[in-house]
Amino acid sequence: MVSAIIGRLSQAFLLLLVMSVIGFIGIHSVGNPVFNLVNAEAATPEDIRRATVALGLDQPVWHQYFRFIGNVLTGNFGTSYIYHLPAFQLVMGKLPATLELAIVAMMIAAPTGVLLGLLAGRRKDKPVDWAILRLSVIALSIPSFWLSMMLILIGAILTGWFPSGGRGPTGTLLGTEWSFLTLDGLRQLTLPALALALPNIALIARLTRSGTIEVETQDFTRFCQAKGLSPRRILFRHTLPNISIPIVTIIGMQFGGMLAFAVVVESIFNWPGVGKLLIDSIQLLDRPVVMATLTFISIAFVALNALVDLFYVVLDPRTRHSA
Amino acid sequence: MEQQEHHEPLLLVENLTLKHQGAAAATTILRDVSLELRRGEILGLIGESGAGKSTLGNAVLGLLASGFSQTGGRILFEGRAINELSDKQRMELRGRRISAIFQDHTASLDPLMSVGSQIVETIKALDDAVTSRLAKSQALQLMERVGIPDPATRFGHYPHQFSGGQRQRIVIAIALAGRPDIIVADEPTSALDATVQKQILALLRNLTDETGVSLILVTHDMGVISEIADRVVVMRHGKVVEHGATSSILDTPAEAYTKDLLAAVPRLRVVPANSQITDGPRSVDPQTKVVPQATLDQNPILRVKDVTKIYAGHSFPWLRRGPQSPALRDVSIELARGSITGIVGESGSGKSTMGRIVAGLETAGRGSLDLNGRQFDISLAGKKNGLLGQVQMIFQDPAMSLNPRMSIGAALEESVWFASRETPSDRQDVGEMMDRLGLPRSLLLSYPHQLSGGQKQRVCIARALLANPSIIVADEPTSALDVSVQADIVRLLKKTVSERGVSMLFISHDLALVQDLCSEIYIFKDGVVEDAGSADFIFSKSQNPYTRRLIDARPGRFTH
Repeated sequence: MVSAIIGRLSQAFLLLLVMSVIGFIGIHSVGNPVFNLVNAEAATPEDIRRATVALGLDQPVWHQYFRFIGNVLTGNFGTSYIYHLPAFQLVMGKLPATLELAIVAMMIAAPTGVLLGLLAGRRKDKPVDWAILRLSVIALSIPSFWLSMMLILIGAILTGWFPSGGRGPTGTLLGTEWSFLTLDGLRQLTLPALALALPNIALIARLTRSGTIEVETQDFTRFCQAKGLSPRRILFRHTLPNISIPIVTIIGMQFGGMLAFAVVVESIFNWPGVGKLLIDSIQLLDRPVVMATLTFISIAFVALNALVDLFYVVLDPRTRHSA
Repeated sequence: MEQQEHHEPLLLVENLTLKHQGAAAATTILRDVSLELRRGEILGLIGESGAGKSTLGNAVLGLLASGFSQTGGRILFEGRAINELSDKQRMELRGRRISAIFQDHTASLDPLMSVGSQIVETIKALDDAVTSRLAKSQALQLMERVGIPDPATRFGHYPHQFSGGQRQRIVIAIALAGRPDIIVADEPTSALDATVQKQILALLRNLTDETGVSLILVTHDMGVISEIADRVVVMRHGKVVEHGATSSILDTPAEAYTKDLLAAVPRLRVVPANSQITDGPRSVDPQTKVVPQATLDQNPILRVKDVTKIYAGHSFPWLRRGPQSPALRDVSIELARGSITGIVGESGSGKSTMGRIVAGLETAGRGSLDLNGRQFDISLAGKKNGLLGQVQMIFQDPAMSLNPRMSIGAALEESVWFASRETPSDRQDVGEMMDRLGLPRSLLLSYPHQLSGGQKQRVCIARALLANPSIIVADEPTSALDVSVQADIVRLLKKTVSERGVSMLFISHDLALVQDLCSEIYIFKDGVVEDAGSADFIFSKSQNPYTRRLIDARPGRFTH
């Protein structure tokens, strides 16, 4: 067990290192941030040179990289060029908004997707199955910006049920501000959460459906029938656990994706989350914030993967050590 | 009441006709089948694949897959027609009155639920009033009853922690949980080793005698029938060929098909111990389990020495747990030129691993291999060791060893090309081989799915021969085939070896088959050679207790 944890940690460390190199070189090659910081019309070449030296941008790339790594090891990601705040603190400030959006979206997507998938799998080749399959193809193929705009059109403009954008009033829990604690905040949350949930419902439903069909052909479900169990019990106590490993894997991956890359939805709904921060920072060439965000995303993916693996062990006795 | 039970059969099948609606056309699976099952008896349902015996079992359980429709006749259970019941009524019948045991003990149990919970779940589903505590004590009793040692500890274990035989015992415990009147057992021992099969059959016989449950025993194996069935129904192509008491069917079969079926069963000949054995015995040293070198053939085509194979667990060495038990430990075998040598063993004995090492499909950590006087490095895999092509393999399942998208002709030509590195200009070689193996040349343009199981295995044999190998390794080549087909294939292998002078390593779990084919036999157990010698020696003189146990596990009727 200890060796497994050490193995996992060394993998995570390697991953972070590789990510930091790619991210650093990537953001370095996008452009020189100095021109975003000084007044391009009024600045003299001398001003620009001084700013460049002040930010350490006159040094070779590898030198800048090692200084960055050195700072990170002391827990310092640097100060945002734009906001003049510590970069990691900035990312953490955006985290609650992103986290609540992703959690609500997954709480809608996972149960709905699993139920629709079980239903479709059980009624294979029946009209219900046909309808769920077709709808899932549509939900997976429409672009998220169009889906978001349709949700605003229907949910906000035509009916006026929900606000069209922004994060609502927040309440405090565990020292952090959460908007799902207020009724208005929850209403603000609904449309962006739906926009994130719909494609995931489709994905999870398709996965559940194929898993159900596969497991139902196996002998133990037939044996469960033969021993007199009700179809409902077979479905939820035997079929569902046996198909849950791929489902949980995809839920983990998609959840990580929502934390990091819900850029389009966050932008359209003007949701102040991590994805929006990343895109804005890349556009402004705010290197410390970009690097801090990428590091956070990598850590989040590593942690989610570890959670998924832990779930495998809890669920499947065969992955546990057997004598 | 007593009297009525004697006269009224528990289950009555009358003129049952079942059709299956396929994509293109409807096929009749069962035609006018009638039979009766009495209380406390074991009724054997025997037939080869396609006989409809499993379908009949499923119909009794009310578990026919979609696409099946009952077009005539009826199944009466205590006077009620099963097909006229609602889904809910049929569900209530299952487990409580009629339950089942399936062939594949691994697949019958939910891998994610402890066996105790699976038994308790069944008890609770069948009796709403039972408390959890009572259900658990009943489950423990059932585990005890079917012969699971130390049930209290084993209760919380998962299926993968049990051996195959124990898993099948758990399945039997579950089938018994609702105290049913009928158990439909579909090939309950076909996936088990011979020695375990004998124990499970004894358990089933015992249970029927003690609890009065009736058993419908669906099987393809005459040996199983001869061991425990009271009466037998012989089926073929969805029809009942004949039925009667087991002894009369086995001793005086009326129908030609039954006679053929009986004749096709490989029989074990026990040579009297005092008979003259020309070939000297070569016993394994009981301490070292090594065959003494001096007694072996001077010029064998294949000589494998001191092979040890250990399967690595995890790909990271520091994540491997516990000591690895070797799949093979210091195993030496020899194959005489132009002969068939048998390797016999139960599952997990390492016999298939040996075959794969000889064929160059797997590496071994230690040991040497000498083929035709040339040394090969068996620590290297695949193309690097040079064995591929020198040795050809015939696998157990012909359906899975032919490329479904390649015509038979193309598959065979590939083999010729492989041997000679030139495309056959005409199909002369291939055609001749087809004739020799009794395959019509018209099949050259067909695809594997259009062939029967026996034809597919013939193609596999042809493919192996066309590559012109030094030796052929045949790993259970007849186990996936019906007995009558199995007899044909065995005859064919024998003929091929004598006509073409091929040498063959024949791997099997079936002693009778090996006796029929092989001149030399190695008996493998837990990765070592337990016993070895000429066929006559093994079957008459060998004092090895394991060899004796394997011989005794054969159904008595098919030994003489």
